[in-house]
Amino acid sequence: MVGPLSPPLHGAKLVSQVPIGTVFESVAQKYDVMNDAMSLGIHRLWKDSLLHVMNPQPGARLLDTAGGTGDISFRFLDYVRFQRGRRDRRAARANQTLSWQQINDSYTSTEPVQQGSRAVVCDINKEMLKVGKQRAEELGYGTDLSWVVGDAEELPFDDDQFDVYTIAFGIRNVTHIEQALQEAHRVLKPGGRFLCLEFSKVSNPLLSSLYDAYSFQVIPVLGEVIAGDWKSYQYLVESIRRFPDQETFKGMIEDSGFFRVQYFNLTGGVVAIHSGFKL
Amino acid sequence: MFLNGNKALRSIAFARTFTDGVKDNVENKPQFDISLLEFLVCPLSKKTLRYDETTNELINDELGIAYPVIGGIPNMIPQDARMIRKDQEEKEDPTTE
Repeated sequence: MVGPLSPPLHGAKLVSQVPIGTVFESVAQKYDVMNDAMSLGIHRLWKDSLLHVMNPQPGARLLDTAGGTGDISFRFLDYVRFQRGRRDRRAARANQTLSWQQINDSYTSTEPVQQGSRAVVCDINKEMLKVGKQRAEELGYGTDLSWVVGDAEELPFDDDQFDVYTIAFGIRNVTHIEQALQEAHRVLKPGGRFLCLEFSKVSNPLLSSLYDAYSFQVIPVLGEVIAGDWKSYQYLVESIRRFPDQETFKGMIEDSGFFRVQYFNLTGGVVAIHSGFKL
Repeated sequence: MFLNGNKALRSIAFARTFTDGVKDNVENKPQFDISLLEFLVCPLSKKTLRYDETTNELINDELGIAYPVIGGIPNMIPQDARMIRKDQEEKEDPTTE
């Protein structure tokens, strides 16, 4: 999905009964603006945090479900590139004074050539992907990034294919969350990691009341002013409140067969990162 | 696009090809990245797919479903897919519509 505060009209199947596609697509281009405006830019930090928790290594293959315009995948590829650069620099430094033994080893080394990393953005909304793909081309991302229109509940990918599955601000809008979790489990390789970034529950009462006031009184207004769409953003706020809290969602992930499930609260629990492994 | 007949249309088409030339072609039929087929499957049967260059579709021969590739992006939503009848498929006739 697009961003933390993207309206209900995107991503996987929606809970809402309102006719969806058209409204959503008309707003597609304004999403990033809305996300910045509503979260005061903090959604970027949340997404960065997701990458830090993920800490992907060169060669990792990511499925960025509900990936919208590619925010997570861009970060993933940048992160991996940085890691590789750092490793290469370290190797180069270490190689400055080689012993004959090391040179000999380097010839006989059987270490496999590092496979390129790959990110696949999958979203149910083709307009979002179109915008994302265009952006990727402008930014110079190459063939290590792919775009696929698909449903989180019915993923068009073979079993055991990905090292990491992410769903950022998307699972809230999936009709059958259990179904999406099972699909995540299916497409992950054994040892692969499930990561979800989603709004959650604020426990601090003071922060909670501030957050409520902001959500119900400011966000719909911003939605109306920027995207001309009060209702979608009102729905957005309501859908956030309906989504299961940290512990409940953790239980759901465990029920889908994931192990070592844990979560990290961000911004006092406004958002949480849930993590689990397929073993 | 086959803009036969109508002169006006043809001249518009000419003007377009003249101005955006190669770029226009790329936009109409961006390359589908075949390497995706290593792990892309039919969301219904989870079976492998075949890419048909003539129709620019991903085909599940078993179930007779064709998923369109639009702007280089495969659309794997079953509701957006096209059902193919066996006989038409054998003839490999791209003008089924």
